[in-house]
Amino acid sequence: MPKEPAERVTKVIDDPATPLWRGTIALRIVTFLFAAANVIANQSGYVRPWLAWTTLGVMALWSVFTSRAYSTTWGRRWPLVLVDLALTCGLMSLSPLIMSDHQLLVLHVPLITTIWACVPAVALGALGGAAAGFGGGLTVGLFTYLSHRSPSLDLLRDVVLLSGAGMVVGMASATARRSAVLLAQALRAEAATAERERLARSIHDSVLQVLARVRKRGLEVGGEAAELARMAGEQEVALRNLVAAAPTDSTVDGDIDLRPGLQMLATPRIQVSTPATQVMFEAPAAGELTSLVREALSNVDKHCGEDARAWVLLEDLGEEIVLSVRDDGPGIPEGRIASAAAEGRMGIEKSIKGRVESLGGTLELQTGPGEGTEWEVRVFRKGAAG
Amino acid sequence: MGGSGVQEGGGRMTVSVMVVDDHPMWREGVARDLQERGFEVVATAGDAPSAVRIAKAVRPNVVLMDLNLGELSGVDATAMITSELPDTRVLVLSASGEHDDVLQAVKAGASGYLVKSASSEELVEAVSRTAAGDAVFTAGLAGLVLGEYRRMAAAPDGSEEKPQLTDRETEVLRLVAKGLTARQIANRLVISHRTVENHVQSTLRKLQLHNRVELARYAIEHGLDAEPEAEK
Repeated sequence: MPKEPAERVTKVIDDPATPLWRGTIALRIVTFLFAAANVIANQSGYVRPWLAWTTLGVMALWSVFTSRAYSTTWGRRWPLVLVDLALTCGLMSLSPLIMSDHQLLVLHVPLITTIWACVPAVALGALGGAAAGFGGGLTVGLFTYLSHRSPSLDLLRDVVLLSGAGMVVGMASATARRSAVLLAQALRAEAATAERERLARSIHDSVLQVLARVRKRGLEVGGEAAELARMAGEQEVALRNLVAAAPTDSTVDGDIDLRPGLQMLATPRIQVSTPATQVMFEAPAAGELTSLVREALSNVDKHCGEDARAWVLLEDLGEEIVLSVRDDGPGIPEGRIASAAAEGRMGIEKSIKGRVESLGGTLELQTGPGEGTEWEVRVFRKGAAG
Repeated sequence: MGGSGVQEGGGRMTVSVMVVDDHPMWREGVARDLQERGFEVVATAGDAPSAVRIAKAVRPNVVLMDLNLGELSGVDATAMITSELPDTRVLVLSASGEHDDVLQAVKAGASGYLVKSASSEELVEAVSRTAAGDAVFTAGLAGLVLGEYRRMAAAPDGSEEKPQLTDRETEVLRLVAKGLTARQIANRLVISHRTVENHVQSTLRKLQLHNRVELARYAIEHGLDAEPEAEK
């Protein structure tokens, strides 16, 4: 059962002009019925009614045969379509033998093949593109003219219509083929990418296993190995971030996922926690939020020493986004932020507060000596506010 | 189990552990670490089907489960083991820390998650706590679980009994996600350490229960209500 869609895809790719061929078959059947009605209506005036009925019989057989042939890829080939054109024109040329001169020249009774004759032009278009369709239409038109033996404006109109229709069908089939080639290329590229991703995942996992093991054992062994362990640990986190932070498409209205940018900030000392599903936010503001978190984290580095750890938490409350940054450092003594701002060198006041305010969000700071520092930023989504 | 795997700082009952990992290096390393600390490593397995088979035979207290096991993943194995063996707890030990995997494993019944690079002390503590019936949460897992509850609450489908966190549970989970230890949380909220543990466990249990109900409903709706563990 799961095979079915795949098969359908390959079939379409095999012959993208299939719908045009189905149309050709339908046209053939409908126009044949019209031709039969034409013979019945006009047979009393024919010079050779038996030839009319014989011709109609051949048309019937040929209609059945080509309908079957054109519904398989086997029948959609130049020899058959050219034979189709030749036979149609040949049958049409019998018209002067069947019809009386009066019918032909005065009453303007349709030729024996009538509009049935247009089908090869359409088939040529479906098979060979615009030029083939145009040529097919022109040929049929030329034989119509020869069969009538007298030029008229009506005839000219038929020629234009026939060659035009053949050309349009030809253009449609060429477009369908081009799209099918592009689609096939896109599908192949997608399959290749998926396979590459699968391989990358398993390779990444193996590398992560080794790095994690080196880090663990190195710390246990100590000494020089501890330094190796530290480096392995950094690479492990970096690779894990890369695997987790798969790039995501931005939406039409320019929202992007906040998670990858934040996850890239993780280090062995910085843990970034996010939901498992995308957290979309307006693109420029999302960048602001990420750099705001980076600022807060660099602040942790500067003021809390080598051993301090930090945690970043991203929460999506629907109407608003909450970003928390917490460290387990010594905390900011009271008045320190304000005095630093007065000295005009510390980034917190300006960078973090200013950025949050320009995003229309709120900032809460919880700190105290020995308690670590916790920033909590809340920003509303644009759509939710209005 | 009687919940007496470990008494805080006190005597320890022997905890039987099974290690599932497709890397022999890890399997043996972790098994050795645990044995040195007085755990009984009763079995190891390198892929999900044999993990399920062996677990059913030896019924360990704790299964240490890697998620990246090849065709049948650690998530599937976790689901099968926890549904067959209610007394066996699964602790996920993953290298890649990939978000969706870990969340799926926890929803499937795992009682906790640890990154592979965690120190031996952290691993030993996590296994003991898992054996004692506690949930082992990293800050990252707390963030995932919080996100999952909010995703379900916001999902437009009108399924009636969506699990919800109480205000207290949300508060506790947020603090876990911000890196506070159970003891720090207890201090900050002025509740007992045990109460914090209970809140954390309860968030997991509700999620797992909901997951099982959803799976059962899906199975019935799609006419798949045969034994799920019958398929390989």
